[in-house]
Amino acid sequence: MNPVFDILKLWRAQAGWLALGALLSLAALGAAVALMGFSARTIALALLGGGLLVPAALPAIGTARVGLRYAERVMTHEATFRALAGLRVWLFRGLADSAAGGLGLRRAGDALARLVNDVDALDGLYLRITVPLLGAALLVPVLAVLLWRVQPLALLVLLPFGVVGFYLPRRAARLAAQNSAQAGLAMAGLRSAALDALTGLREVKIFAAEGRMLATVQAREAGLLAAQRELVARTSALQAVAFLIAQAGILLAILIGLGGAPVPAVIVVFVATVAFEAVLGLPRAGVLYGQAQAAAARVVEAAQQPPPVREPLAPLALPPGNAIAFEHVSLRYAPDLPLVFQNLSFQFPAGSRTAILGPSGAGKSSIAALLLKLVAPESGEIRLGGADLAHLPAEAVRGRIAYLSQATHLFADSIRNNLRLGDPTADDAALWRALEAAQLAETVRALPDGLDGWVGEGGHNFSGGQGRRLALARTLLSSAPVLVLDEPCAGLDAATEAEFLRVLNTATQGRSVLLIAHRLTGVEQLDRIWRLGGGGLMPATS
Amino acid sequence: MSASAKAWIKNEQKLGRAAATLPVALGGAQVLFGIFQVFCAARLLAAVLHQAPRGVHALLFATGFMLAALARAGLGVQAERLGFERGAAARRRLRSGVLATFMALGPAGLRGQHSAELAATSVDRVEAMEGFHARWIAATALAVIGPALVGLAAALADWRSALVLAITGLLVPFAMAVAGIGAGLAAKKQFVAMTRLQTRFIDRIRGISTIVLAGRGADEARALAAAAAELRVRTMRVLRVAFLSSTALDLAAAAALVLIVLRFAAVLHGDIALAPTALFILLLVPEYFAPLRAFSAVYADRLAVEAVATEFAALPAPPEPVPAAEIRSVAAHGLTLAFEEVSFTWDAARGPVLERLSLRVNSGEILLLTGASGAGKSTIIDLVLGFIAPDSGRVTINGVDRPVLVPAALNRMLGWIGQRPMLFAGSIEENIRFARPEASAEELAEAIRLARLEELILALPQGIRTPLGEGGFGLSGGQAQRIAIARAFLKDAPLLLLDEPTAHLDPAVERDVLESIRRLSVGRTVILATHSAVAMEFARDFGAKRLDLDALRHARVRGVA
Repeated sequence: MNPVFDILKLWRAQAGWLALGALLSLAALGAAVALMGFSARTIALALLGGGLLVPAALPAIGTARVGLRYAERVMTHEATFRALAGLRVWLFRGLADSAAGGLGLRRAGDALARLVNDVDALDGLYLRITVPLLGAALLVPVLAVLLWRVQPLALLVLLPFGVVGFYLPRRAARLAAQNSAQAGLAMAGLRSAALDALTGLREVKIFAAEGRMLATVQAREAGLLAAQRELVARTSALQAVAFLIAQAGILLAILIGLGGAPVPAVIVVFVATVAFEAVLGLPRAGVLYGQAQAAAARVVEAAQQPPPVREPLAPLALPPGNAIAFEHVSLRYAPDLPLVFQNLSFQFPAGSRTAILGPSGAGKSSIAALLLKLVAPESGEIRLGGADLAHLPAEAVRGRIAYLSQATHLFADSIRNNLRLGDPTADDAALWRALEAAQLAETVRALPDGLDGWVGEGGHNFSGGQGRRLALARTLLSSAPVLVLDEPCAGLDAATEAEFLRVLNTATQGRSVLLIAHRLTGVEQLDRIWRLGGGGLMPATS
Repeated sequence: MSASAKAWIKNEQKLGRAAATLPVALGGAQVLFGIFQVFCAARLLAAVLHQAPRGVHALLFATGFMLAALARAGLGVQAERLGFERGAAARRRLRSGVLATFMALGPAGLRGQHSAELAATSVDRVEAMEGFHARWIAATALAVIGPALVGLAAALADWRSALVLAITGLLVPFAMAVAGIGAGLAAKKQFVAMTRLQTRFIDRIRGISTIVLAGRGADEARALAAAAAELRVRTMRVLRVAFLSSTALDLAAAAALVLIVLRFAAVLHGDIALAPTALFILLLVPEYFAPLRAFSAVYADRLAVEAVATEFAALPAPPEPVPAAEIRSVAAHGLTLAFEEVSFTWDAARGPVLERLSLRVNSGEILLLTGASGAGKSTIIDLVLGFIAPDSGRVTINGVDRPVLVPAALNRMLGWIGQRPMLFAGSIEENIRFARPEASAEELAEAIRLARLEELILALPQGIRTPLGEGGFGLSGGQAQRIAIARAFLKDAPLLLLDEPTAHLDPAVERDVLESIRRLSVGRTVILATHSAVAMEFARDFGAKRLDLDALRHARVRGVA
C-alpha cells in the first residue's frame, strides 16, 4: 500500500477545507481559461471584421479571475495549515504510543527529530501536488470540448497535454524516489562527519587532524552534491522535454487550426497556452511526490509501531500500596541477545531509599525500564503494591513512578511550562515550593522574568547543575510516590554532583527513592545498597 | 534582524551577483527567444484567421517557432545546471569557512555551545543558502531585465500597448507599497511563525520520552494542536494581507490583457495589416509577467536566508594567526614545561581563575594537580594545549615562549587524555590511527599491546575493524579510555596531559587503567589533574610533585602567597 495514501487518509478530518480550497483553485483556473478564451474570441472576431462583443464581459471575467485567485490562495493555505497541524499531532501521538517507549531511556531524540524533516517533505502534498493535478484533470474535458469545435482531428492536442500533465510527472516521481534514498544517505553521512569533527574538537586539535576532518566533511559534501547534481541534471532534462512537448502541442493546435473553423481555432490556441502553462509545473511536482513517498513511508512506519510492551487485555485496578518487588526476573532484549540478568529478586519497600550500583552495561537502567513498563521481563514478576505489573496499564504505573535521568529533557519553553509538565494544575506557589526544595528558587528569583524566564533549547540558558535541579523540581512536583533516579548526576563535575545529591536528600523526604548509579559519593543517605553485576544482584556494604 | 545579519546578507548578495552574470545573460536570451516565438505564433495565428499568407510562409514560421522553443529549452537546462553549480559553490565556500572557523576557535573558543547546534550551522544552515545563490539572485535581475526586454519588443510593434504594459508593470511594486505592508514583511512574519511552530515541534519530539514518562502524552498532543491552531489563525491574518501583493500582480496581468484587447477591438474592424501586431501583443502579455511570477515564486529562498543570517553573522571571528617571522623550534630531547606568573580569567564577574601562577615540571617528572572543580586544573591544561592564552605571564616549553614555537612541532610534543575520549565513526583501527595516520602496522600493533587492547580486539568477531562511534559497537568507559591510551602511545609525545582520566570509571577499572597510564608515563613529562583518591595515590607512588590549587587559592585569599 502506498504510504502517501495513508497520509491522505489522515486528512479526512480536514476534507471540507481541502475540498473548498481545491474547488476555488479549479474555479480560478477556469476563470483564467475563460479570460484567455474571451480575449482571443474578441480579437478574432474584430479581426474578421465581425461585430464587437459586449466588452463588459471581459473586465468582469478579469475581475473574477483576480478575486478567485485571491480566495484560492487564502483557502488553500488555510486548508494546508489545518492538514499540517493534523499530521504533526498524529505523528506525535503515534510516537508517544510507540517509539517513545522503545527509546525510553536512551538519548535518541535526535534520530526522531530527523523525522521532522520527513514531515516537512509532506508539506507540499496538497498545495503543490494534489491541487495542480486536479487542475490538469479539469483541463482535459475543457480542452476536449474546445478542440472538438475546431475539428475532431484537433483532439490530437490532448496527447501532448497528457504527456506533460500526467506521464512526465510520473517519470519524475520515479527518478526522485530513486535519488532520494541516495541523497538521504549522503546527507546523513555529511551530518555525522560534521558532528564527529565538532564533538571531537579537542581530539581533532590535539592530534592536528583539522585538515583530515575538513577533508572528510568535504568528501561527504561532494557525495551529497553529486547526488543532488544528478537529480538536477535529470529533472532539468525532463523539464526541457516537457517544455518542448508543450510548445509542440501549441504549434499542433495552430497547424490543425489552419484547416478548421478560424475563431474556435484562435480560441483553442490561447486556451492551450494557458493550459500547458498550468501543467508545466507538474513534472517538478512529480519530483516532490517521489521525495514525499520515501518520507511518508518513514513517517507512517514510525508512527504506527506497536508499543514496546503490550497493554493488558483486562487491566486490573492499581492497588493502593507502593511497595515494589522483583521476583525471579529475567530479561533479554531480543531472543538472539544474551540475558541482561537472570532470576533477579529484590524488595523495595514503600518509603525506602535504595541504591543500585554497578558498572555500565550491567543492566542498571534496565531495572528502571522494567519498572516503567518500557520492556517486559522474559520470566518472573514485578509487583507494585502486590499486583503484577503485567496486569496494570502502563500509564497508571507511570503515574506512580517519577523518573529522572541525565536524558530528562528540558524544553525550549518558559520555566513555568517546564515545571508544569510535572503537574499541570500546580499554581505559582507550588512551583516556588518545588524550586525551593530543589534549591533553585534563588536563581530563578534573580532572573528578570522569574517563572516566565526562558529555559532555552535543551536547557541552554542554565548551567548543567542548574538544569538538573530544574528537572528535579519538575520531578518533585509530580505526586508520584516513587522516584527513580537513573544516573542523575552523569556529566556533572564532582562539586556540583555533591551539591545536587545533598539537595536530593532533603527534597525527597517521604517518598520511595531508587537511585541508580555506577558509584556513590558518600553524600547520599540510603537505607540499602545493592550491587548489580554478573547477571545478579548482591547486597553491598556501604 | 540585527545590523550584522543585514550586512552579512548584503555581502552574500554581492558574492552571488558576481557569479550570476552568465545565468542572467542566459535568462535574458531565453526571454528574447520567447519574444521570437510569440512573433512566429502571431504570424501563424493571423494565417489561421485568413489574414496572412499560408503555405511556405506558415511552414517557415512554424519552423522558427519550434527552433526558438528548442533554444529556450536548451538554455533552460543550462541555466538550471549553472544555478545548481553556483549554489553548490556557495555551500562549499560557506561550509569550509564555518568549519575552519570552528576549528580555529577550538574547544575553548566554542565553550558553552552545543556541538549539535554547531553541526546544524555547518550542515543545515549552509544547505538553506542553496536557493538564494542558485535561483534568487538571478531571478531578481531577470525580474527587471525580462519585462524590460518584452516591453521594448512591444514598443517596437505598438507603443500604445507598450505603455499599457509599462503602466500595469509598474503597478505591481506600487500596489505592493500601497498595500502598506510590503509583501516581504508579511511573508517574513509568516515564515518566522512557521519556523517557531517547527522549532516547538522538534523540541517536543526530542523530549518525547520525558513527556510520555511523565504521563503527559495526551495533554502535550492537545497543546500541540492548540498551538498549531493559534498559529494558523495568526498566520492567516497576516497572509490575507500578504496575498494582496500577489493579487496586485494578478490584477496587473489581467488589466493589461483586458486593456490591450479593448485597445485593439476598437480599431481593428477587419484591418488586415494590424492583425499580426494585435496577436503579437496579446501573446506577449503572459511573457511580460512571467519573470515577475518567477521572482515571487522564489521569494521563499530569500526568506530562508533571513532565518539563518543571524547565526552566520554571530559566528565569532577566528583568532589571528601568529606572525610567521617570530616562529622558532626547540630541540625536544626531554621536555621541561614552566608557567611564569601566569594569570587567566574566564569571566570577569567571577574573578581570575589563575593569578600569577608559577610552576615548573622538569623532563620526566609528574605534576599532580588537585583542587575542586573550577579551581583551574583544566584551565592549566588548556593553557598548555594553547586553546587559551594567558592574560599575563608566560607559558614556556624548554625555556621558549609557547606562542613562538612552530605549531606543527609544538603539536608533536603534546599528548592528552581527557575524561571520555571521543570515538569517531570508524573502525577501532581508524580510531587509534587518528593519533598518527601514517603509523606503520608494527607501531599500531605495539600501541594496542601497550594499551592492553589485544584481549578486547580478539574477542570481537570483526576484530580491529569493528566499527565504533554512533551506531557502532559500544565500548565501556574503561575500554574507551584504553583507545585513548593507545592513541597516546602511537603519538608518542614527550609531554602528556591527563585531565581527570579516570573520573567516570569504577574503582576496579580505574586501577587497571592507571596501570596502563603508568607505563605510558615512563620517560615523559606528565601533568595529571584528578579528584580521584586512587589516582592521587598512584601519582604519589610514582614520586609526583603535587600542586593543590585549593590551598594556593586559600593562601592567596589570606595574603600569604
